[in-house]
Amino acid sequence: MDNNATSNEYVRGTLKTIVLNLLAEHSRMYGYEITQEVKDRTGGAIALTFGALYPVLHKLEQEGLLITESVEVDGRLRKYYSLTTPGNEAARDKTTDLERFIEAVRLLLAPRVLTSE
Amino acid sequence: MKRLQENRIDLINNYLQASKLDPELIPEILDHLACEAEECLWNGKPFEQVYKEITETADAQLLLNLSVDHKNLLAMEKSLNDIVFEGRNKLYGAYDLRKSYGQTIQRSVLMGVTLFLLMVMLPNLYARLVPEPKASDIAYVVEAHPVDIKMEVPLPPPPAEKAAPSVKTVRSLPPVVLPDNQVEIENIPPTKEELESALPGQEDIKGIEDMGFIVPPSAPVANDKAVAVEVKPKNDEIFRIVEQAPEYRGGIAAMSAFLQKNLKYPSPAAAAGIQGRVFVEFTVGTDGKIENVTAIKGIGFGCDEEAVRVVKLMQNWIPGKQSGAPVRVRFTLPIAFQLN
Repeated sequence: MDNNATSNEYVRGTLKTIVLNLLAEHSRMYGYEITQEVKDRTGGAIALTFGALYPVLHKLEQEGLLITESVEVDGRLRKYYSLTTPGNEAARDKTTDLERFIEAVRLLLAPRVLTSE
Repeated sequence: MKRLQENRIDLINNYLQASKLDPELIPEILDHLACEAEECLWNGKPFEQVYKEITETADAQLLLNLSVDHKNLLAMEKSLNDIVFEGRNKLYGAYDLRKSYGQTIQRSVLMGVTLFLLMVMLPNLYARLVPEPKASDIAYVVEAHPVDIKMEVPLPPPPAEKAAPSVKTVRSLPPVVLPDNQVEIENIPPTKEELESALPGQEDIKGIEDMGFIVPPSAPVANDKAVAVEVKPKNDEIFRIVEQAPEYRGGIAAMSAFLQKNLKYPSPAAAAGIQGRVFVEFTVGTDGKIENVTAIKGIGFGCDEEAVRVVKLMQNWIPGKQSGAPVRVRFTLPIAFQLN
């Protein structure tokens, strides 16, 4: 649970980028599919809760980066998300930004390991 | 893949409805939870257990947090109106009015400013479109030709008119009555010999003696010393009785002789033995001529006509006079026809 909570803390800042990146790989996805995809790819290290995911999806939609289409599946409405053109650009930008950030964080973390040894 | 029966979906749906979840989010969360449940069922868990797990994970507090997070994330875009109309009937109209208020104001300000500018600029625009003619503009072109100015040649003086030939006149002033001491002896009337070859005039002019036409003497110089009293004959009036009756020149005897000589007894009257007097009326003019001869009372048988004929022959009566002036007088003369 603690592990999960800390991962959530980091996830919160990168969630937008994760979602945009996933959507850039697939033509369209729905909420549960995204959570499953994240869980499968990270081997359960990162688990997206619906409580965190949906607000972000709606926010991105509101910003015009995503468009939605509702399809009725098995007696319930399923909302599919796909990227718009500005959404594609945003996905690229945010992904490169995040990679740069991760590199920076790695640099920050690495020296301590070096000095401690 | 196992599918959830509808009643089970409804069960989850009802659970979500009962919670304080934002209605906007319900369909998505429902789908998400249903998918989770289906996977659990796929893994061989009984639905009751699955449902219990779901409600434990997605407990009321979590769903509420989700709603709040969702709201907060989107709140940046939310206006005051959305907050004011939270949970109220937005279809009523006031919400739309408030929402479009900004746009309306913007549009109306733009229109107002445009209209105002148009009104203010209209005279200016009109003046630009219809430019007034400037003083420097050329209205029309006048072609200038050189003008030759010639010195004015004075006209030759008209040939002097030759004095009209004047008629030879002899000084012959009308005689003026003056006291003896003032009489000027030089104003002697012209002699007969002088007048034979000249006309009487104011002065002696040596002109052509026989011009063949008669020139009226030049108007006499106004003479205030004496004004000749001219008695003008009164021609208009015909008198019956006058102070001096007209008279046959020569007297009654001469008239009798004239009548005796000219009267001839008309044969019809002689044959019929007619005798008597014919009264002939006539006017004696101022010159003594006989006019308007009529027989006013006769005896017939040609005697009246004979009497009128003879009277018309008479000439040279002395006209009758009234106040010294000759006047026309109506005169009645009885002529007797008598058989011998």
